[in-house]
Amino acid sequence: MAFATIQPFQYVAIRLPSENIRVEQIVPNGQINLGKYGSFHTNQIIGRPYNLTFEILDRSEAQDGKELRIVSAAELHAVALVEQAETEDAPTPRTDLDDTGAQSTPKSNVNTHDDPTNQKLTMAEIEALKQDDLGSGKGLIEKIMQSHSTLDQKTAFSLAKYTLRKHKKYLKRFCILPLDVPTLVDWMMADREFSKIMEMRNEAVALVGCWANIHASDPVISLSEASQSSRYLVVDDTGGLIVASMAERMGILHQQHLEDGIAKIEEEDPDEQAEQPEVVPLHKDKRQQHRQSAMSAASNSITLVHTNQQPNLSLLRYFNFDPNNPTPSHPLYTNLRSLSWLQLLEPESDLTYQEPEVIAPEELANAKSNRRSAYYRKRRRWERVKTVVDETRAGDFNGLIVASYTDPVSILQHLVPLLAGGSQVVVYSPSVEPLVRLADLYSTARRTAFINAPAEEKRVPSEDFPVDPTLLLGASVQTARVRQWQVLPGRTHPLMTGRGGAEGYVFVGTRVLPAQGKVEARGRATRTKKTKALTDPDDEPSQLSFKKQKIATGEAVSAHTASTLPPSNEDLGVEPMIVEQNGES
Amino acid sequence: MVSSFLSRGCVAKEHDLASLHLRRDQSLPVVLSTEVTSADHEGYAEGVVTNTRFGSFPHSTMIGAAWGSQIRASKVDTGSRGRKEAMNAKAKAKKRKAEALEQSQSRSQSRSRTDTHAGDEDAVAAAAAEVEVEVASSGFVHILPPTPENWTISLPHRTQVVYTPDYSYILHRIRARPGSRLIEAGSGSGSFTHAAARAVFNAYSATSGVESVGKVFSFEFHAERHRRVKAEMVEHGLDTIVHTEHRDVYRDGFLVHEDEENRDRKTSPQANAIFLDLPAPWEAVPHLTREHQDGKPSALDPNSAVHLCTFSPCIEQAQKTVSSLRRHDWLEIEMVEMQQKRIEVRREYTGLSYDGMRGANAYAADVDEALVRLREVERRARDFHARTLSKRQQANGQRQQQQQQPDVGKLPFNGGKLVHRTEPELKTHTSYLVFAILPRAWTEEDEATARAKWSKHVKIAPSVPKSQRQMKKEAKLKSRGQPQVLNGRVDGEMGETTTEKTNAGTGESTPRAEAEAEAEPEAEAEAPGGLHV
Repeated sequence: MAFATIQPFQYVAIRLPSENIRVEQIVPNGQINLGKYGSFHTNQIIGRPYNLTFEILDRSEAQDGKELRIVSAAELHAVALVEQAETEDAPTPRTDLDDTGAQSTPKSNVNTHDDPTNQKLTMAEIEALKQDDLGSGKGLIEKIMQSHSTLDQKTAFSLAKYTLRKHKKYLKRFCILPLDVPTLVDWMMADREFSKIMEMRNEAVALVGCWANIHASDPVISLSEASQSSRYLVVDDTGGLIVASMAERMGILHQQHLEDGIAKIEEEDPDEQAEQPEVVPLHKDKRQQHRQSAMSAASNSITLVHTNQQPNLSLLRYFNFDPNNPTPSHPLYTNLRSLSWLQLLEPESDLTYQEPEVIAPEELANAKSNRRSAYYRKRRRWERVKTVVDETRAGDFNGLIVASYTDPVSILQHLVPLLAGGSQVVVYSPSVEPLVRLADLYSTARRTAFINAPAEEKRVPSEDFPVDPTLLLGASVQTARVRQWQVLPGRTHPLMTGRGGAEGYVFVGTRVLPAQGKVEARGRATRTKKTKALTDPDDEPSQLSFKKQKIATGEAVSAHTASTLPPSNEDLGVEPMIVEQNGES
Repeated sequence: MVSSFLSRGCVAKEHDLASLHLRRDQSLPVVLSTEVTSADHEGYAEGVVTNTRFGSFPHSTMIGAAWGSQIRASKVDTGSRGRKEAMNAKAKAKKRKAEALEQSQSRSQSRSRTDTHAGDEDAVAAAAAEVEVEVASSGFVHILPPTPENWTISLPHRTQVVYTPDYSYILHRIRARPGSRLIEAGSGSGSFTHAAARAVFNAYSATSGVESVGKVFSFEFHAERHRRVKAEMVEHGLDTIVHTEHRDVYRDGFLVHEDEENRDRKTSPQANAIFLDLPAPWEAVPHLTREHQDGKPSALDPNSAVHLCTFSPCIEQAQKTVSSLRRHDWLEIEMVEMQQKRIEVRREYTGLSYDGMRGANAYAADVDEALVRLREVERRARDFHARTLSKRQQANGQRQQQQQQPDVGKLPFNGGKLVHRTEPELKTHTSYLVFAILPRAWTEEDEATARAKWSKHVKIAPSVPKSQRQMKKEAKLKSRGQPQVLNGRVDGEMGETTTEKTNAGTGESTPRAEAEAEAEPEAEAEAPGGLHV
C-alpha cells in the first residue's frame, strides 16, 4: 500500500498537541520546525510507520542518533485508562459517590473561584522552567500542577480538562498522519481557507463519490472490452480536491514509489519531450519507458473541463502532481485529461486545436535543433489536444461530478448529453439554492410539460427548458452531516462546539435514454380514457367504467390508484395527456 | 466472471443484474435471463417476464438495450397462465372432489406431467422466436445498471440496512480504496458488502498485474443470511472480490479458509480496513491485535495501519467499544453520528387565481390581491343591498370569468414559488460510528534498521515535481557551471541529483539548511487553491 511507511518526498500531515495540523513535504536530510514544540530532522521519521506519536527527546536524552521517542498507545490513553479502570470497578460512579458521601464530601465546583493567585508560579518562573527543561515538557507540567493551590479542590472533570490543556501547551509531541483526501479535507477545514474547497466536508466528499459511482476498473478487462469503463467527466472549482478524491477512489492518486532513482530521473514538460540527438543511448532507453504520452489513458480516466485556459489543480501538489509540470511516473500523468470549455464547445476557435503546419522532413533535417524540437513539441501538443477534445466530444462517459461556482444549469446543459445511459450525475453546492433550481428543472411536472409541448416549442435551451428534462431521472437533493461525540467514562456527550458555515448539498440524478415516440404511463387513469368514459357527469358511472376498462386490459392497477382517482369533472374537454412518470404526480 | 456492478459495458446483457426503476425510491432488481429456470417464470409465451404495477416486461425486450433506456411494457397474457397453473395445482392436489376421486391415480399424474411439459416447450419456442412480443399501449420502466446505491434501496431486507450516507462516510474514513483488504462482520443484508466491494475493487484476479488485489471478507454467524449473501455474490458476479464465511467472530476470530478444499488451514485476511456491524463489537476487538498469545497469525495487514469502524445503535455499546479499543492500543478513537436530510423541492402556489386547484393555497398572493378581492366583495354586497339587478348580473359574470381562467386543471410547472424543505420521512438516528486506527507494529529492531538506513545524509533522486524555487536554482547552476551539468548528463544524472551532488561536495550543513529554508516558507507562500491562472 501507498502508506506502509513514511517515504521521502511525500507530503505528510503533522498533528501537534494543540490538534492543529501542519502539512510538510518530507525532504530527506532536512529539518522541520514545529515552533514552540521544537524541531526534528526528517531522517528521524523517514522509513517509520504512519500514525505513531513521536516525542522530541531532551538534548540530554538523545543518544546515538536517536532524537525522537515513540510514545506508546498505553501512554497516550493513560488518563482515560485510569479513569476507565476506576469507573468500571464501581459500575455507576455517581451512586458510588453518594454511598461514600458520609466519609468524604464529594468534590464540587461550589468553592472554585477564578483567581489568578491560585497559580503560585509566576510567568517569569514558568519561563525560567521552560528554559531549564528543553525536553518533553512533562516535568514542567508536573511542576505547574503541583503548584496549583486549588488542584485538590478541582473535580475530576475539570482536573482532566486542566491536565489536558496543560499537556497541549507544553508537550513536545507530534503525530505523523498520511496525507490523503480525508486528512487533506480536515486540514483545509480546520487550518486553511475552507472556502477554497467550497467548504466541502468529508461527508460531502464521501457522498459525492458514492452517488457518482466512481470506482476503479480492472486493467485487463477494460482493455479487452469494446466500450471503455470508468471514464468520468468533472468540473472542479475546489482547486483539485474533487479530482483528487475521484483519483483516490480510482486508485490513481497515490504514487507508489517516490524515491525511485532508477525508473525515473528527469522530469520535463509534456510538450518538451523533443528529440534530443545528443543524449546518450542509456538515456534514450529510459525515455522509452515513459514514452506513454500525457493524457493518453482512455479508461479509468478523469476528464476535467475548466473555465480558464489552464486548470486550477493546485491541491494536487500535495500528492506530488503538478499539472503544469507533470511527472510521467505519476498515474495522473496519463489518466487525468483536461480541456477548456472553449476546446469542448468551439474547438475551431482554439489555437491549440489547429493543426500546425507540416514541415517537410528534408527541411526539418536541415533546421536548427531548437527549431526542430519546437516543431515536434507543437505537433505533439496538437495531437494531444486533438485526441482529448475529439474523444470528449464523442461522449459516452460513465459519470459526471460538478463542484463549481459557475451556474450548474449551464454546465449540465452541455455535459449531460455526453454521458452514457445509466450513468450518475452529481452536483455539489455549498448552498442549496442552485440545486433547488436544478431539481426543479428536472422535475416531473416540467418533464411532462416538455413532452407534451408542441414540436416548435421543444427547444433546448429555451426559457422554460434550459436543459432537456427528459435526460435525467430521479433528481434529488440531499445533505449529510456528522456530529462528533466525546466518549469518556461518565462524560459522554456531543462536542460543545463545531464548525458552522456552508451546509453542503448534493444533487443526484441518473442519465437515461428516453424512448422515441409517444410513451404513456400506467398506474393512474389517463385522461383520454376517462374523458371518453365520462358520458354521465355523475361520479359513480365513471368509477364503474374505469373498472370495466381495467378488466378489459387485464391490468392489475392497484386499488390505491383507483381510489385516488379525482372524482371531479374538471377534466372534461381536456386535451389527452401524456404522463411521463409512472404513477407519480 | 465480470460483474455488472463494476464493468457494465454499454448494453444490458443476459445474466446481468439490472435495476428496473419504477418510480422514485422504488426499483426492482432483476437478473436478465432468457432461460426459464424457476417455476415463477413458467407459462409465459414470451419467455421470462417481469411483472410490475406498470406493466409486464419480457426479458427479451430488455436484453441488448442500452443501459438507461426507457423500456415500453409489452402485452403479456398473464391471465390464462394463472388459470393453467391453478388447474395444475388442482390436479396435483390430492383430489377432494368426488369426480376427481373417480379418476385413476396414474391418469391424473400423466396429465399433470404433460401439462408442465407443454409449458416448457412453449417457453423454449418463445425464447427461440422472440418476435411475438407486442408493445402495450401504456406503461414503461427504465433499465438502469446496478449500483450499490440502487441495490441498497431495493434489496431484500434481512437485517437493519446500512444506508448510503453512513456507508459512504465509513468507507471514506476507513480508507477503503482500490487494493484494500476489508473485513466486514456481519454481512447482514449485504448493502455495505456491495459498497465495500466497489470501493476495494481494482481487479477480478491477481493475473491483472496489480500489486494487491482488493478483497472483502464478509463474516456472518446466521447460517441462512450467510447462505443468501453468498448466493447473491455469485449472482452479482462479485464472488471473486467478496469472500463470505459463516462464522461466529466473537468466538473464532477472523482467520479465513480461503482454500475451499483444505478446511483445516486458516490464513490471515491481512486486513487494513475493518467494519464491525455487530451487537457487541468489544467481543471481537481482542481478535484484532497485532499478536496473539496462542501463536495464531494476526488477521491484520502487517505492513500498514489498520482503520476500524464499528456501527452500534446504542450509546452504551459505543462506550463499551471505545473502552475496549483503548485497552487494545487503538489510537485516534473518535465517535460520530451521521445525520442525513433529503430535501424536497417543490413549487408552492399561493394566490386567488389558483382557487379551487388541488395543492394550492387559496390565499391572496399579496396584499394588493387581497384588496382587489375585498373591494369586489364589498361592491357586490353594496350592489346587493341596492338591489340593482342588472349590475349584479354583470358582477356574477365577472366572477365566473375569474374562476374559469385557471380551470386548465393543472398547476403550471413554471408558476408559483420554488421552495425546499426536509422530506417528511426523516431518519434522525441510524447508529453511532466509532472510528479507530491501529498503527503498524514497530519493534526496536525495526527502528534500529530504519535508523541505520536514514541516520546519515542520504542521496536520492526524487520522481516528484520540482518547485519553482528548485527549478530556478537549477537554472542558475546550469548557467554558471555548464561543465558540471554536462558531466551530470553523461553520468545519466540530471537536475535534482546534480544539485544534491554539488551540495554534498560543499559540506553537509548546506543542504540541511537549504532544505530547512525550503520546507518552511513554501508551504506558507503558495496557498492551495490560490493559484488562479
